[in-house]
Amino acid sequence: MEQLKIDFNKVIESLKLSSENINTRKKNFNQFIENGFPNKRVEDWKFSDLNQIISSNIENLRLHSNLELNKVDETIFVSKFAHNKIIFLNGIISNIDFSQEDETKVLLTRDLNQNEFFKESNPLISLNNALNVSYVKVTVKENYSLNKPLIIYNITTKDLKSTALNLKTNIVLEKNSSLKLINLFDDNSENNFINIVQNFDIAQDAILKNYKIDNKKNSNIKYCYNNINLGKNSISENFIFSTGSKFIKNEINCNLNNEYSSAFINGIINLTNSQHHEIKTNINHLAENTKSYQLIKSVLNDNAKGIYQGKIYVDSKAQKTNGYQLSKALLLNENTEFDGKPELEIYADDVKCSHGATSGNLDEDAIFYLMSRGLSNQQSKELLINGFLLDAVEKITDEEIKDLIKKMIGITE
Amino acid sequence: MLKVKGLKAKIDNKEILKGLNLEIKPGEVHAIMGPNGSGKSTLSNVLSGKKGYTISGDITYLNENLLELEIEERAHKGIFLAFQYPLEIPGVNTNIFLKTSLNAIKKAKGEKELDAIEFLKLVKQKASELKFDEKILSRQLNVGFSGGEKKKNEILQMSILNPKLSILDETDSGLDIDALKIVSEGVNALRNKESSFLIITHYQRLLEYIKPDFVHVLINGQIVKSGGSELALELESKGYESLR
Repeated sequence: MEQLKIDFNKVIESLKLSSENINTRKKNFNQFIENGFPNKRVEDWKFSDLNQIISSNIENLRLHSNLELNKVDETIFVSKFAHNKIIFLNGIISNIDFSQEDETKVLLTRDLNQNEFFKESNPLISLNNALNVSYVKVTVKENYSLNKPLIIYNITTKDLKSTALNLKTNIVLEKNSSLKLINLFDDNSENNFINIVQNFDIAQDAILKNYKIDNKKNSNIKYCYNNINLGKNSISENFIFSTGSKFIKNEINCNLNNEYSSAFINGIINLTNSQHHEIKTNINHLAENTKSYQLIKSVLNDNAKGIYQGKIYVDSKAQKTNGYQLSKALLLNENTEFDGKPELEIYADDVKCSHGATSGNLDEDAIFYLMSRGLSNQQSKELLINGFLLDAVEKITDEEIKDLIKKMIGITE
Repeated sequence: MLKVKGLKAKIDNKEILKGLNLEIKPGEVHAIMGPNGSGKSTLSNVLSGKKGYTISGDITYLNENLLELEIEERAHKGIFLAFQYPLEIPGVNTNIFLKTSLNAIKKAKGEKELDAIEFLKLVKQKASELKFDEKILSRQLNVGFSGGEKKKNEILQMSILNPKLSILDETDSGLDIDALKIVSEGVNALRNKESSFLIITHYQRLLEYIKPDFVHVLINGQIVKSGGSELALELESKGYESLR
C-alpha cells in the first residue's frame, strides 16, 4: 500500500492539475485505499473475487507507467471499414481522428481539469477517478448523426507489465443525434489491470449503438464500467463480445430516466482454459413506458468460468415497464462453471418483466445427426456452437458491424 | 454390399436386437416391417453408428468391418440414414449445412469440393425435382419446418449426397398422401444397379409407391419371416400377431 501512495503522488505531480482537482483525486484515492480491490465478501463480486484474481495474477502492481509513447501499429486498425478513431495506447490517448465528420458537430474536450468525476459506487471507480491520466469527452451536437462509426482502440504494448491503467471517456449525445461506437481491445501486454470507466448521456430521441469487442487472447485483468443515462424516447443498444482476456468484468448501469426510452444489452461469453468473464447489469426503469431487453449466450470450455448477474429495477413511478432477460449457457465439460443471478426488484404494479436461464451441454442427438451427414465430431460441435451464439449476434442492428463481428467469431455464411 | 450376422444390441442393459441376420446386395430394396418396440430404429441407429449401444455380432459393409468405422466415416463411405425425427438445429443455415456435408463427403472421397455457385446449382435442381420450396433452404435447419418439410429435407439431403446404402427410418410417418408421393418419387429416382435401400416402416402404404425386392418382418429383435413384396400385403391383412 505504501508503494501505491508513492505511485499516486508521482502521477499527480506529473499532471498539471488544479488544487480542487487534486483534492477530489486524493479523496477518491483514499476511498480506494480504505476498501482495496473488491473481494467475494462484497455481494456484487461474490462470483469474481477481484482482489484474489489480481494478487494471484499480477506481482507488485504499479499504478503508473514510465513508458514513452510508442508509435501506434497501424496494421491493427480494422481494414476496409471507414471509421473515426480514438486511440488509447497503454492507457494514454495517442491520437483522435474525426476526419470523417463535420468538425463543428463533434466537440472534443481533453482537459483533465474539466474532467467530471463519476459517482464512486465502488472502489474501482474511485481508483479511476483518482488515477485517470488521459481522458476525452465527445459531444455530438443536436440532430447530428455521425457518418461513420467511431472505434475506440485500447492498445497495450508488450513492454507494459504489472501496471494498472485507468481509462475514461465521456460521451454525450445531444437531442436527436446518433453514434455507432466500437470499443476494441488490442492487447499485446501481459498481466496488467485495465480499469475503464465510460459514461454516456443520451438525450431525447438520440441513439447510441455500443459494441464492445474483447477478441484477442491475452492475460490481462479488466474491469469495464459503463454508466448510461437515457432521455425521453432514446435508445441504447449494447453488444458485448467477451472472449479475449484472462479476466474481464463488464458492468453496465443503465438509467431509463425518461419515458419511451429503451435499453438493449446482448452479449456473448466464449471462453477456454481458465478464463473467467462476468457480465453484470443494473437496469433501472425510472419512468413510465420504458423497455429493456437482455440476451446473454455463454460457451464454456476447459476450466472456464462465466457469470451473468442481471438486475432489473422498476421504480414505483415506472408503470408499463417492459423488462426481459434471458441467459443461456453451454458447458462443454464438467470442469466449467456458470453462475447466473437474475434479480427483479419491482415497485410498480402494471409492469411486464420476465427472466429465464438455461445451462447444459450440446445435444448428443444433434451431434449424431450432423455426423451422420459426414461432418466430423469437431465440425459438428463448431456448427452447433456457432448456431447457439448466432442468436445473440443477430440482435446487432447495424449490418456492417454485425458482419464484422461474425467474421471475428468465425461464423461463415 | 451389407451383411449382418448374429447382430445383438443392448442399451441400458436391455437387449433390443437379439441375433439379427440380413444381407443386402447392390441395387436391392429391402423393407423391414414390424410392430412398435421390435427394434427397427435400433437397427438403423446401429447401422449408422450411433453411440450408446453394446454390440456383438458382425456387420460387413463393402468388405469392411462396419462396426470399426466412426459415424462420419460411414457417411463418407455412402451410408445415409433418413431420420424418423430429423433434428432441429437452431442457428445453422440449411444451405450451409448441406454444403458442409456434401463437401465433407467429397473431401473424404478425394473428390473436388463444390464452390458456392456449383453447389447452389445442384441444390436448385434437386429441390425442384422434389417440389421443395428453395426459400426453406435459407432458413435454420429444420427449425419451424412442418413434419412433411422435415421429411422432404431428409430426402433432399439423400439425393444431394447420393449414397450407396440409404436407410429410411419410418420416413412415411407423418406424411400426407401428396408428400408421400413426392418422397417416393425422390427415392425411386435414386434407384439404380449400385444403390441399395433399407426401408423401415410400420405400414404397407409406402411400399405401394416404392416396390421392395424383399420384405422382412422384425419382431422382438429378430427377423422372423422374409419374403417378396407380397409379404407386406399379407401383413397388412393379417397383422403381426400370427407371426409372434
